[in-house]
Amino acid sequence: MTTATHTGHAGDGNSKFLQHHFREMGQQFEAAKLGMWLFLVTEVLLFGGLFVGYGIMHARHPEAFMAAHHHLDKVMGAVNTVVLLISSFTMVLAVWAAQTSRRTLCILFLILTLLCAGVFLVVKYFEYSHKFHDGLLPGKYYTHQGDTVPGQFMFFSFYFMMTGLHGIHVLIGMIAILWILVRAIRGDFSSQYYSPVDITGLYWHLVDLIWIYVFPLMYLIS
Amino acid sequence: MSHSAEHHVTGPKTYAAVLGGLLLLTIITVYASYLDFGSMNTVVALLIASMKGALVALFFMHLRHDKFNAVIFLMGLLFLAIFLIWTLFDINTRVTVLPTNLKAPVQAFPGAPLNKPVRPSTGQPVGTPHAQ
Repeated sequence: MTTATHTGHAGDGNSKFLQHHFREMGQQFEAAKLGMWLFLVTEVLLFGGLFVGYGIMHARHPEAFMAAHHHLDKVMGAVNTVVLLISSFTMVLAVWAAQTSRRTLCILFLILTLLCAGVFLVVKYFEYSHKFHDGLLPGKYYTHQGDTVPGQFMFFSFYFMMTGLHGIHVLIGMIAILWILVRAIRGDFSSQYYSPVDITGLYWHLVDLIWIYVFPLMYLIS
Repeated sequence: MSHSAEHHVTGPKTYAAVLGGLLLLTIITVYASYLDFGSMNTVVALLIASMKGALVALFFMHLRHDKFNAVIFLMGLLFLAIFLIWTLFDINTRVTVLPTNLKAPVQAFPGAPLNKPVRPSTGQPVGTPHAQ
């Protein structure tokens, strides 16, 4: 991608961000989006393995899961759900701002998305440190005393694997959004070229989508 | 996008309405967790989660205007469903092996002659011609 092609393509609707192996911007955009969607399908199946394992163990040991989930704070879980939903909203507005060449708004919404992601991780940190303190840890590290129902360590194995993997995804998403933010400040995006904002948005919405399922399964067992 | 007609631009008003719907469904799912639907508790929770998921996928992820990628995403969900359902078949048809669960072995087929090998499908002695 060289700036030399900038003037060469001026007038035919292509920007300097058209890579040489694509015919025009629309084709480049569709290809990038297809690649992201294929990746998102692999992500669904990655988390799917954990969800299936959770379903089986929950079905076989309902009492242990029921007792263990009382150690989770419904309020913190609900706050994180709302924070993540709002971050998805600000992300989609950043995509809209890029689509309509509103640079300042795009930067603002990306910063808001990053802030929401930060709040999510801070709440998660308080939740985790509370569980570390109480010895509510997975597998053989489970040291919580005074349980009346056996087997609660299983729930926490799934809790830490699923929320931990999700947390890593939030971190990666934040790095991606930060990169988009730097490029937005540089002024790369316009209605001509916004595919990086769009596909980062897709990834961020998937992170939200997964949390939408994790929240009721972990925090709201009844 | 004046250059290509296939890029739909949805405005902030629609997105705000979708966010409102998502927050409302979050309140409903928390409220529903205090109600008892018996064995349907998890089903109700997953149903509400799927409604929220559909809102996110259709509006925020633009699948509403993107049939091609919607098919790809649905294929992923299809394979997840196969993974889940076939695993549940296995789990639900498997019995914990305890001495009390074992069935007594079949000793004889009613009406079949003793001490002769029988065809398992018919219970008749081997060599007997098939019924026409």
